[in-house]
Amino acid sequence: MDLGLKGKGAIVTGGSLGIGTAVAIELAREGANVAVNYRRHDAEAKQVVAEIEKLGRKGLAVKADVSSYNDAMKMVQQVQEAFGRLDILVCNAGINWDGVIWKMSEEQWDTVIGVNLKGYFNYNKAAAMVFKDQKYGKIVNISSINGLRGKFAQSNYSASKGGEIAMSKSLARELGVFNVNVNVVAPGMVTTDMMENLAPEFKNKALAETVVGRFATPQDCAHLVAFLCSDLARHITGEVVKIDGGQYI
Amino acid sequence: MSRVGIIGAGHGVFGRRSDATVQELAFEAFRLAIKDAGISRDELDATVVAAVPEYHKQRSVAGVVQEYLNLNPKPTWLTEVACASGSAAIRTAWMAIKSGLHQVVAVIGCQKMTELATAEILALMGRVGEVQWESIFGTTFPGYYAMFATNHMHEFGTTHEQMLQVAVKNHFYGAKNPNALFRKEIQLDKAMASDPVASPFCVYDCCANADGAACVILADESRAKALSKKVVWLDGVGCATASMSVLRRPNLVGLPSAVEAGQQAFRMARVAPRDIKVAEVHDCFTIAEIMAYEDLGFCKKGQGGKFIEEKRSYIGGEVAVNVDGGLKAKGHPIGATGVSMAYEIVKQLRGEAGERQVPDANVGLTHNVGGIGQYTFVHVFRRD
Amino acid sequence: MFSWFGKVSFVPYSKVADFAVHLKDGRMMGSRCKDCGYTTFPPRADCPQCLSGNFEFKEYNGKGKIYTYTTISAAPTGFEDIAPYTAAVVELDEGGRLMAWVGDTIPLNELKIGIPVQVVPRIFDDSPEIKVYYTIEKPGATWKKAPSPHLG
Repeated sequence: MDLGLKGKGAIVTGGSLGIGTAVAIELAREGANVAVNYRRHDAEAKQVVAEIEKLGRKGLAVKADVSSYNDAMKMVQQVQEAFGRLDILVCNAGINWDGVIWKMSEEQWDTVIGVNLKGYFNYNKAAAMVFKDQKYGKIVNISSINGLRGKFAQSNYSASKGGEIAMSKSLARELGVFNVNVNVVAPGMVTTDMMENLAPEFKNKALAETVVGRFATPQDCAHLVAFLCSDLARHITGEVVKIDGGQYI
Repeated sequence: MSRVGIIGAGHGVFGRRSDATVQELAFEAFRLAIKDAGISRDELDATVVAAVPEYHKQRSVAGVVQEYLNLNPKPTWLTEVACASGSAAIRTAWMAIKSGLHQVVAVIGCQKMTELATAEILALMGRVGEVQWESIFGTTFPGYYAMFATNHMHEFGTTHEQMLQVAVKNHFYGAKNPNALFRKEIQLDKAMASDPVASPFCVYDCCANADGAACVILADESRAKALSKKVVWLDGVGCATASMSVLRRPNLVGLPSAVEAGQQAFRMARVAPRDIKVAEVHDCFTIAEIMAYEDLGFCKKGQGGKFIEEKRSYIGGEVAVNVDGGLKAKGHPIGATGVSMAYEIVKQLRGEAGERQVPDANVGLTHNVGGIGQYTFVHVFRRD
Repeated sequence: MFSWFGKVSFVPYSKVADFAVHLKDGRMMGSRCKDCGYTTFPPRADCPQCLSGNFEFKEYNGKGKIYTYTTISAAPTGFEDIAPYTAAVVELDEGGRLMAWVGDTIPLNELKIGIPVQVVPRIFDDSPEIKVYYTIEKPGATWKKAPSPHLG
């Protein structure tokens, strides 16, 4: 399948790590120019840009805190100037900071909501304003199956992931007539850094939940995201696509 | 060819008639017309009712009017062409008599404009024009004529003051008309300062809704001469249409339907515009009267502003126009207006207009426009 | 879906209903009679010239001149929230005329009869349903590059 992404401009937030990196590289492989943001991992971000450029595309790493509204507005403008166009936004930057609610501090809650949910709002809005005027855009917000179900000790994370889903559905309604698709990819456990830090018993429990007996790789997620960013998926909008190996059916 | 004449005329009070139903208003005018004609109801062969139905709660207004006037089982039907309904009904009666089918026909123009809730009236206001391509942008009756005014001012240098002088004149005469809605004269400077409606119009450029009724009774020549000593003859009838949509008009500085209808009526009555001594024209908005002077040939195209400025349409000018107050001062009960115009001409040609009498009025004209000029009816009346 | 067309639609059905679909896609369509070639804007299904009902849509470029205009302060039902607004008639270079609102790129003090304009298809961007219309802008404005209008 030719996804038809050649020459398109894309932003992938949280593109210096894990799923984000895989998505960024995959989009570049499909022909898009890709910009990623980073908060602290500038070396990794530059590495991603180098890989993108090796594929013959334009790459850009922008230092931006996703929880900053102004940073998001500035980054979108910057990318439009650098690439001449913006067609695709993939929101992926996310953190977790777990704890049962009776031990969860206000800061724990605010930070996770601020990075995950507010961060997606910041970039979705900045991109929506461009996409609406040019009557074209693809937004993929990467959520989690833990936005569809409640996860123990993740009231803040689940809230943010569930919020991303509801927000995406609203945006699909608002932007549909302007030829903008807004979809959600909801992975289960993915072999990334975030997973590395989990205790073995949690990993095994998650593995047992899958029906395929393995976890997703960032590459698995990237394939799905790239498809949703293409016009082959032009009739899919407001959809939540789980990619969880059957972890949550 | 036998003529058709008016043998009786009656006019009710126009205004916010929350005291009466449409059929009660019709009866007021009908009673006066019958008395004026000096005939009994049995003399009537039929009636034609003019009313614009969508403003009434009662559906099929002609039926309820005929019943209330105790005229069953005589024939009746409704004639509707927006604001020209009254004249259309007169034309229909004229045709019925000319065909020989009827000899004496009463035309009743009756209308309530204030029966519906404000919201319903405001919604109707937005559907005056062509609804598929124009009303969707919120066009209104004043809005359309305002567009004519914009063009007229641009092409001929007509000024807003000149337009408002039409209102000043009509209120001057309306103040003397006990049947009018507004009975006070107005000042030009107060008019200029009134609230904007649709540029360049302000409130004083626009006629007001009113409830009311008027009635005229037509008869064929032999019946007319037998029944009346003061017959006013309807010698010229003209009617023409133009596109509903302003997008398909040849120009927006006049009403081609009025030009055509006027020429037909003049031709049939064998008169020229300069023979008209007294006229009732459709001044739904000030610019409409100015364009009427031009369309009817009272002055050259583009000279309408000067015509009113030089007071040539006052009594004593070349042709006295709307000296009963016009739509502006009488109010505009849309189904009744055309009949009200005929009433005034009949009174003028009989010499019965009191302090508003136009001296030596022997030939008169009514110019009645439907909507934004998609229909115009022009009638020429003569007193022998 | 002709009811998509206009802030308030009074016409849900028409033989030229697809006009609204094309407008949503940024294209202004007049009509052309397939039998005698008569073209017109706004489109009509039935040819006044040869009476045929065989028509096809024909795209218009939206370039034209101001023919007349008015600023409406006393608005009818459904338009009160955007009053005052300025409606104008545009004479299209390719023939025919249309009625539309004057857009934000033409301030009222620059609006004059005869100035060249560009009619731009628009989507009402605060409606949960698909609603489309067009506005009158300065020459050079495009569907993708005209600034979003501020209504009311």
